[in-house]
Amino acid sequence: MTVTVVPRRVLKRIAPGLLLVLLALTGPWLAPHPIDTPVTAPYAPAGDGAPLGGDQLGRDVVSRLLHGGTALIGSALLVALAVTALAALLGCFAALRPALGRAVERTADVAILLPPVLGIMLIALAWPDGGRLAVNAAAIVLGVPYAVRLVAGAAAPLAQSGYVEAATARGERLWYVALRELLPNLRATVLALFGLRFVEAVYVISVAGFLQIGSQPPAADWALMIRENAPGILLNPWAVVAPGLAIALLAISVNLASSSLAPRSARKAVTAS
Amino acid sequence: MSRTVKDDVVAVPARSGAATVPRRTGTLVLRVAAAVARRALMLAVLLAVVFAAVEVLPGDAATATSERGDSAADVAARRHLLGLDRPLWERFWDWMTALPTGDLGTSARGQKVTDLLADPFPNTLLLGSAAFVLTVVASLALGCWAASRPGRPIDRIIGHAATSAFAVPEFVVSVGLLLVLSLWTGWLPAVTLTGADGNPTTWTMLIMPVLALVIPQTGWNTRIVRGALADQASAPHVEAAHLDGLPPHRVVLRHALPGALPAIATGIATSTGMLLGGAVAVETLFNYPGIGSVLAAAVAGRDAPLIAGVVMCAGAAISLVLLAADLVRARMLGART
Repeated sequence: MTVTVVPRRVLKRIAPGLLLVLLALTGPWLAPHPIDTPVTAPYAPAGDGAPLGGDQLGRDVVSRLLHGGTALIGSALLVALAVTALAALLGCFAALRPALGRAVERTADVAILLPPVLGIMLIALAWPDGGRLAVNAAAIVLGVPYAVRLVAGAAAPLAQSGYVEAATARGERLWYVALRELLPNLRATVLALFGLRFVEAVYVISVAGFLQIGSQPPAADWALMIRENAPGILLNPWAVVAPGLAIALLAISVNLASSSLAPRSARKAVTAS
Repeated sequence: MSRTVKDDVVAVPARSGAATVPRRTGTLVLRVAAAVARRALMLAVLLAVVFAAVEVLPGDAATATSERGDSAADVAARRHLLGLDRPLWERFWDWMTALPTGDLGTSARGQKVTDLLADPFPNTLLLGSAAFVLTVVASLALGCWAASRPGRPIDRIIGHAATSAFAVPEFVVSVGLLLVLSLWTGWLPAVTLTGADGNPTTWTMLIMPVLALVIPQTGWNTRIVRGALADQASAPHVEAAHLDGLPPHRVVLRHALPGALPAIATGIATSTGMLLGGAVAVETLFNYPGIGSVLAAAVAGRDAPLIAGVVMCAGAAISLVLLAADLVRARMLGART
């Protein structure tokens, strides 16, 4: 099996993503103003006191921008971790137990018919007090089927290999074979999967924020800021463009990082799914 | 090996069932019928899950549509009126058996779901299919272009651009388009104006929503096309064609692309769901009269039949495209054996 070494080329491509995540997480301490008190006129253009102007209530765009990333990135990390962990576990089991593997295939076939946005709306609809938690839960539930299929696909050839057969013949239990024999050899796939799920989670959570499912108006949230300030785009474009740029930069840098983490074989499997 | 590569490519978005030549008519009809039945069954399972999810989680249409002064008895009466006091499986059965007659049930506010969706859904479908056709054309062109110059700067540029484009959510792309096409240049209006018939007044109002959907999806599909062509590049007949000194674009179009089509068709078919999902957000931003606004209202009103109706329509559209991809794959693989 391949030994994972992180070459300098890969480090260079991970760096922007890491830097941006770090900046967004420390942002709240750098913000010059509170997020909920007006400091200028509504939709005030960039000027003294507010370098990027004011939003629809005259609140400081820069401060809200610095606050807005924490929840998005935190949720995305949580969702990506949960989906990857669940998928790694279930995928290994599915590779070892054909009946479970078939069930996973069928579930993924059905799940593909439900666009994630509709799925989130559905869960938010049925769980009105869920807020951000409902969005995270929906993103996890909707993300797992594909991810399991991917891990199971990568684990299938390994499940036929000699050392797994030997372990089974020794009488090892299912979880032992899955966690100690299969999973360590799937490091590359799981790492690539995590990157991809992080990108996907940023997408799903920001779309949910934009549709005002999850985080609610007083909160500073990049996606929500775009939604709220879109009517005033002619007066102060920065109130919409700045959070838009922030989401785009986050998505692109995380995506570049994740695609450089993927080994050739896993990348092929990822794009083919 | 099929020589009419271009025809096959065009047949992907359209229903390609008509394009399959029945050589062994009996088995082909059986195979198509089996594929249709499988897709229909999956749709039914999805709807059952949707129904169950709405039921299991707290809150229902009766409490959501109640006024502030309603007593518990009023809510109970409304619940009875909406049939919410009947067992879940009974309601689901009624809904499913009414489906073949084109009846999607009654919304929580007492309107026919088909009436509520009659205007917006075709609008969304128009938006989605325009975006689908454009993304198929653009991603095939870009993918083939990149594959015909493997490892060269243009290949890397297309690769990076595609990776970046597909990561950015549609509504963020919309903001960029608004800024460039509307604010800076003033070429296009910033919002969609609807005429008396509930449709956009001019077709130019479709440009930005369609572009906002096309750009991320083209990124995704270009990667799929490029990946499928890369897999084919090592096939013996493609290497032979390359060694014979054929020009790269000819090798890609005539020798690699036909073999890559099944994988490409399946990959591109998966973007239907992303297109329809993205449409919901883009429609909201551009005030486009599609299912986006209907869904927003349905979520606020906890309107399960309406949501199920939208899921049904979206699922049916996605199923059709996946079915087309199944048939392309069956035909291409069948042609080779």
